[in-house]
Amino acid sequence: MRTGIYVAIPVMLGLAVLQTAVLPRFSILGLVPQLSFLVALSWALLRGLEEGLAWGFIAGISLDLFSIAPLGTTAVAYMAAIFAVVSLIRVLPENRFFIPVVMAALGSTVCLLVYLVFMRLLGFSSSVETAVTLAPLILLNAGFMLPVYWLIYSIDRVIHPRRVEL
Amino acid sequence: MNLNDAPQRIRWITVAFLVGTAILLSILDATGNLDAAFSILRDPLTAVLNVTSGGADTVAGVLAGPRDLEAARSEIALLQSQVDELERENEELREIQGEYQLLLDLFNRARQTPEYTRQTASVIGRDTSPAIRSIIIDKGSEDGVRVGMPVESARGLVGRVYRTTGHSAQVALITDNASAVPARLGNSRATGLLRGGELGGSLLMDWIDLKYQVEVGEVALTSGLGGEFPQGIVIGRVVEVNRSEAELSQRALVQTATDFDSLEMVFVITDFQPLDVDIFANPPGN
Repeated sequence: MRTGIYVAIPVMLGLAVLQTAVLPRFSILGLVPQLSFLVALSWALLRGLEEGLAWGFIAGISLDLFSIAPLGTTAVAYMAAIFAVVSLIRVLPENRFFIPVVMAALGSTVCLLVYLVFMRLLGFSSSVETAVTLAPLILLNAGFMLPVYWLIYSIDRVIHPRRVEL
Repeated sequence: MNLNDAPQRIRWITVAFLVGTAILLSILDATGNLDAAFSILRDPLTAVLNVTSGGADTVAGVLAGPRDLEAARSEIALLQSQVDELERENEELREIQGEYQLLLDLFNRARQTPEYTRQTASVIGRDTSPAIRSIIIDKGSEDGVRVGMPVESARGLVGRVYRTTGHSAQVALITDNASAVPARLGNSRATGLLRGGELGGSLLMDWIDLKYQVEVGEVALTSGLGGEFPQGIVIGRVVEVNRSEAELSQRALVQTATDFDSLEMVFVITDFQPLDVDIFANPPGN
């Protein structure tokens, strides 16, 4: 797991900069896909819950450095979403196209809900209307999941080549 | 590839540590105990943002101008390399003209209200959270920017400084959920509270007395009530009025004058002193 964490820190900081300074200029309906979340979720699907949670934690902290939300809020939301989603993977049928997309949609929903509830607990304003206005983000994340997942899958195959027994 | 092959065993102590750390950081930050540590972390990241934002501007400019590219291609077919060169020069001049126009608008805005001192700042980033609307600017506490200072663009009110580091600041936009700006309408003189969080970045003006006949097209300005913003800054224009006699007040939907998606430069009003209304919370003698 250690190697994964050392890789995660620069990757997630880079993605946070990308999400702050570049992606907002190419927004769709005023929203941008949560690339950091999709990368952490993909890593969790490929490398397991523990590494996924660590990547989610680092992704969340990196993003909160560029947000007015209290540090750690996004980390809590990402970890909750990754935990919920990866725990569900066993009950879903095996399908390399279907699973990542459904997981992204489901994870984004859990993530947004946990985020808004946690913000509310910390005294920030959030409401049902906010959740409704963010609903298109779930579809956006699901749409971007496949290319992100396949990229992470390819990187994982390079870092961790599979052993073949003859 | 079988997704179910991914290791599912976890060390619960790791999970508890990560969750505990995240919650602890949230609480510490929400109570303002991490500001000093933040400055150390955020300043170098802001420098990276500055460089990345500049690069993104160039790419966005190219992608935003497909018509120009189309026109340039047809002209290249007619006039070949000479026109290509002229077209490049023309693009550069347009960029300069755009910047000049932007600065002229800012200058005119400053001239309209010379009583305020302003600090010009470039927008270098936006909030990473989809639920929060804020921007990051390239001026911070070392440039005289302080928490609570009002921020405006050439077209109107933008928001308030929420947090600062040495060389950057985060500005909470008026379109954010938590934003509430006391406002007055230009013609009817009705007052109300403008709240953010509406679809499409609009604002909802609430608590307008029924005695006022609010009309579509009226300009909404800051009223100065509450002491957080100077009086008379343009916020936007009324696009819809919801008047119900069954209720005690009416509402108006206001389209902001500032286009927050294409915001490049802003003014921080550095010499406006927000009123300290805390004394009203604890009356003398209590």
